Amino acid sequence: MATISINQLHLDDLPWIVEYDENKCIQCGRCTASCSFNAIKPVIEKRRKIISKLQKPYFESILVIKQVVDFEHHCRGCGMCSRVCPNDAIKAVRNFNDRYSVRYRAAKADSLKKGGRSNLNTEGRTLDKIKVGRISQMTDPSLDAARHKFELRTPFGRVLAADKLNFVNEYDVLKLTDTLPPNRWIYPVIMGDMSIGAISWRMWEAMAIAAAYLNEVMGIPVRMCTGEGGVPVKLLKSRFVKYMILQIASGHFGWNRILQAMPDMIEDPAGILIKIGQGAKPGDGGLLMANKVAKYVQEIRGVPKADLLSPPTHQGLYSIEESVQKMFLSMNAAFNFRVPVAIKVAASSTSVSVYNNLLRDPYNIVGGFFLDGLAGGTGAAHEISLNHTGHTITSKLRDCYLAAVHQGRQGEIPLFAGGGLGQSGSFAADAFKLICLGANGVFTGRLLLEIAGCVGNDTGKCNACNTGLCPAGLTTQDVCLTKRLDIDVAAQNIVNYFIATDIELKKLMGPVGNSTLPIGRSDALITVDKHVANRLDIQYVC
Amino acid sequence: METLKIETLTDNKRMSTQELLQLITSKIEDGYTSFDIQACGQHDIGAACWSKDITKNLEFHITNPGQRAGAMALPGTKITVDGSAPADVGWLNSGATIIVNGDCGDTAAHCAAGGKIFVAGRVGTRSGALMKHDPKFETPEFWVLKNTGSFSFEFMGGGIAVVCGVDCENLTSVLGHRSCVGMVGGTIFVRGPISDVSDCVEVKSLDDKDIAFLEKGLFEFLENINKDSLYIDLLTWEEWRKIVPLPQGHQNSKMSLKYFRKNIWVEGGIFSDFIDDDMVVYPIPATGNGRIRIPKWNRESCVNCQLCISNCPQNAITNQGSLYTSDADKCIGCGICEAVCPRACWSLHSNTKEIA
Amino acid sequence: MCRIGAIKSKNYLHPSIALKLMRSQQKGHDNSGFAFVMQDLGGIFAAHKDLPILSMAATVEGTRRAEDILNNLGFTRVLQWSPDINHEKGLKIEPMPNYVFEMFQYPKSHKYATKEEKEELLTDAALMLRSELDKDNAGYIYSFWPDVLTLKEIGSPKDIGTYFNLWEETPDLCAKIITAQCRQNTNYDIVRYAAHPFFLDGYTVLVNGENTFFEKNKDYQMSLYKGYIGFESDSQCFLYTLHYINRILKWPIQYYKHTITPLPFDEIEKRNDRDVLLRIKASLAHLEINGPNTILGVLPDGRMLCVCDSKKLRPVVIGRTDETVIMTSEVTGINDILPDRDFEKDIYPNECETIIVENDLTVKRWQQ
Repeated sequence: MATISINQLHLDDLPWIVEYDENKCIQCGRCTASCSFNAIKPVIEKRRKIISKLQKPYFESILVIKQVVDFEHHCRGCGMCSRVCPNDAIKAVRNFNDRYSVRYRAAKADSLKKGGRSNLNTEGRTLDKIKVGRISQMTDPSLDAARHKFELRTPFGRVLAADKLNFVNEYDVLKLTDTLPPNRWIYPVIMGDMSIGAISWRMWEAMAIAAAYLNEVMGIPVRMCTGEGGVPVKLLKSRFVKYMILQIASGHFGWNRILQAMPDMIEDPAGILIKIGQGAKPGDGGLLMANKVAKYVQEIRGVPKADLLSPPTHQGLYSIEESVQKMFLSMNAAFNFRVPVAIKVAASSTSVSVYNNLLRDPYNIVGGFFLDGLAGGTGAAHEISLNHTGHTITSKLRDCYLAAVHQGRQGEIPLFAGGGLGQSGSFAADAFKLICLGANGVFTGRLLLEIAGCVGNDTGKCNACNTGLCPAGLTTQDVCLTKRLDIDVAAQNIVNYFIATDIELKKLMGPVGNSTLPIGRSDALITVDKHVANRLDIQYVC
Repeated sequence: METLKIETLTDNKRMSTQELLQLITSKIEDGYTSFDIQACGQHDIGAACWSKDITKNLEFHITNPGQRAGAMALPGTKITVDGSAPADVGWLNSGATIIVNGDCGDTAAHCAAGGKIFVAGRVGTRSGALMKHDPKFETPEFWVLKNTGSFSFEFMGGGIAVVCGVDCENLTSVLGHRSCVGMVGGTIFVRGPISDVSDCVEVKSLDDKDIAFLEKGLFEFLENINKDSLYIDLLTWEEWRKIVPLPQGHQNSKMSLKYFRKNIWVEGGIFSDFIDDDMVVYPIPATGNGRIRIPKWNRESCVNCQLCISNCPQNAITNQGSLYTSDADKCIGCGICEAVCPRACWSLHSNTKEIA
Repeated sequence: MCRIGAIKSKNYLHPSIALKLMRSQQKGHDNSGFAFVMQDLGGIFAAHKDLPILSMAATVEGTRRAEDILNNLGFTRVLQWSPDINHEKGLKIEPMPNYVFEMFQYPKSHKYATKEEKEELLTDAALMLRSELDKDNAGYIYSFWPDVLTLKEIGSPKDIGTYFNLWEETPDLCAKIITAQCRQNTNYDIVRYAAHPFFLDGYTVLVNGENTFFEKNKDYQMSLYKGYIGFESDSQCFLYTLHYINRILKWPIQYYKHTITPLPFDEIEKRNDRDVLLRIKASLAHLEINGPNTILGVLPDGRMLCVCDSKKLRPVVIGRTDETVIMTSEVTGINDILPDRDFEKDIYPNECETIIVENDLTVKRWQQ
């Protein structure tokens, strides 16, 4: 007789249970063929049949689909089985009685890892408590979103106060005499910031194509951050590199190829982003699990197939002053001070001090301050970091803006905010509200995956980006899975989403009567939450 | 009855708009049809009134009106303004003839839906915006001797506007900047330089019907504003153009993304120098190389029961005697063969592989 | 929306002309106030064009305190003028007890001071007076500057005219530049300081329309210069930006337009001076305006200025004769004051223009 032991992993322990209806199943095999996690398989089950009291019962064998119960192959709830099933015979259902996280730690003596973003969401979303409440109606007219001319651009790069521009007046015409820090006007949404390796080559190229298409066909000057996993040399040597913000993080992955390509580059990149921290897992370094370190990833990063753990800090950077000295100066110098160099940090209680320090930096070489909130996404992280570290983005962005206002230096180092934008459905609304609170722009990464076809969500569905088994071909390096992704469709979806976002941003700018970005226009916002109103210094309403 | 003269400013005391309009209404009741009004910026003179005797037209002769001279005016009303008038002349004009022997402020002929507006000078920003035409009534017309301000004819939905470009030698555009934004209907005839018109319209040359319309219409217009002498100068049809909206859905279609990738983007893709990607897209589930798992057959213990053949949902398995094969082009790697085989001849193997 | 007007003439004009200019535009404002600034003064103030005039409305106590402060700073009174008040009943006006127009001699310490030093002293003194009188609402300091006289009051413009006897032309009160506004500023509390024209260090500005970028303008201006205070009206921002561009940064006046309504990027890209324009757009992004506005101004040298928002959402027209130039919201006002001018020479400014009326009354139109 088959028995079990109490500490054996059981179906009931798993976070997702596959519900299967054998009466509906036609045994076509599509579900098992499609499951990238190997979490279901066809098996023969015994059924006891009772005919009559005169005859002995007999056993019948039938083919059923059964869930695999082990740590490696447990169901992630991605739902691919139900998508392919012609008869709705199968689906993954969340198990609210699961004990998986306890079981895993007890069995493996290791921390839990996952991809996606924090699933706790205990904070609620501040941005959802804010409405655009100052509508232009009588004294000043609303603008027509579809037909008026709007300008959605924001400066990227160090902005000097007007009295530091040192213009010379020649016969009533101002002329530039000084070499000023590089500064570009870009779309207020920066995309990407996901590395080759963390995401599949197809997804990465789809983003890059989408960025180029938006610039060259749609006239939307969006910039893409490369993430830190190297940059294809063909891209570096093409004109399209001008839409790319090259990232350097603590791993410095792929920078030797970037440097070696420099003599052959025909355009400057759009900027450099020094990543100090990431909102999803602040204080923790990058993490790329070995199963995603494909051969080409090994080459471009210059590493063997192994779990790649970037250190949590740039080696040798033990103070803000040193980071300015080493990273900013070197990165500025690399492109002869022609390319804006910005910094990305995880939002933290200390962000304002960092921002103040950078504002006061006498060399004017910090070209942007990217604040990443705790709801940001990641390809792989320890669950403990994802769920229990980090700082919400909204108040921290506001704090930094008001700190600049206090010094009379708002806009000098453009502020970009990110982390979980679009989480509750409307990216444009989140972006607009943050801009009103003082952001020059926003950035988004994980949302692009959702746009391209991610089947997961923020309440634990799938979130298996770390496994390299992404069923949508987004965060995997496996050929079979990656080739599920149609690069043209993914790119087109991103393009479409940006076009929609552009329309929706205008739909918010029109009613407040602005045709240019309302950066710092907190008077446009209201909230029914007194605490939010107090904290953000916006109008409380009820 | 004779023309009624109304002075609106006596001893520093100005008659309010309400007082003036009520006075006019009561005098119309008394049978007056002709008014000569010395205004002091009173609004809405000539608005929505009609003669008691429907055979008689109402005539207003006004100096220094305020906003909306001839606004909401009806057929059978004729309004003549001496000199210039401020904003909104002929707003919602519903059939009156309005003559301004001077300039108009902003939004002249705004929403005009009937009648004729003749302006002997310039008109301001957003003039002609939202003009419209109800086919049950006559086409509204808006004639301007000189030029318009910027954003003219925004959202125009119908009617005819004529901008003659007289005295506009120094202008880069007789329609100002960004005219015709959101225009969906109507026709604008324009003489002289134009620039910066919306991309939702097309600019054409005149056809015979247009010329016939302008020949007749210009004569009437110039006669009304007492500028008959300009008639000959305006008949050089090469100087004229016609602006009409592009048909809906006729806006330029954008290049497809696939075309962009294949023809504009980095040749072969940015990874093509170190990754060999054929750009095939696998369906889910896939056959052949796209399978996540692949079945392998081991003959050792096979008893030739053919359960695998009969249960394979893809009909991928065949046998030649005691040799079983699964056709990769049919097989999706579901694992049913493995499950049903009583002797474990079939086993599934991962097809996970890295890109070459 | 307010109605605004600016008059510049070769002849001295009495402020009644401002009342008349506004009279036909009455439907456009709400009769809630009237204010004017006179510059390049004639009449009794003509003799001392270099000496500062304090324009103030205050309580008796406020008046005394203000005078004490100026005395302590070393100023000595040279001349005083008070309007001839008409206490007729039924006038719609909320008058202050005292209206003070006093001319002062500079302190001895400043006898040999430069123009800049004197102006600095006047700015500081005005700020000090204001903060003192603000403490207990003892009064309002409108201007303390040479050759400038300001009067603001709440009520019906016609009745304010009657109260101060402004309908009657008198030779002692006249100027070659008069700017005036009939307010419709009922959006917020009606406060005297919120009434245009606004004056600072020789710059006068009056605006109609709403400043939708008030919050960000204000946030930025607060730390730019000590005189950028109050913000009772969102339109004060327009004055402060003009002052900042022209007086603090010393940029040519054309750059005011480039700052408040920068050109769209596609137009900047085509220009030779794009680098400068893009830098201005970035560095002074917080001084951009985005609302419907017409701005009239007077510069310290007596030139007048007119600019509009980039969508030209507010009316303005300029009429002129050889003797007089008038910029105002609606042509009706000009028709009343200059009925015999050649109206074909009227100027209807567009959204890209900066218009300057020179001291010889030539009008320069400068396209952005």
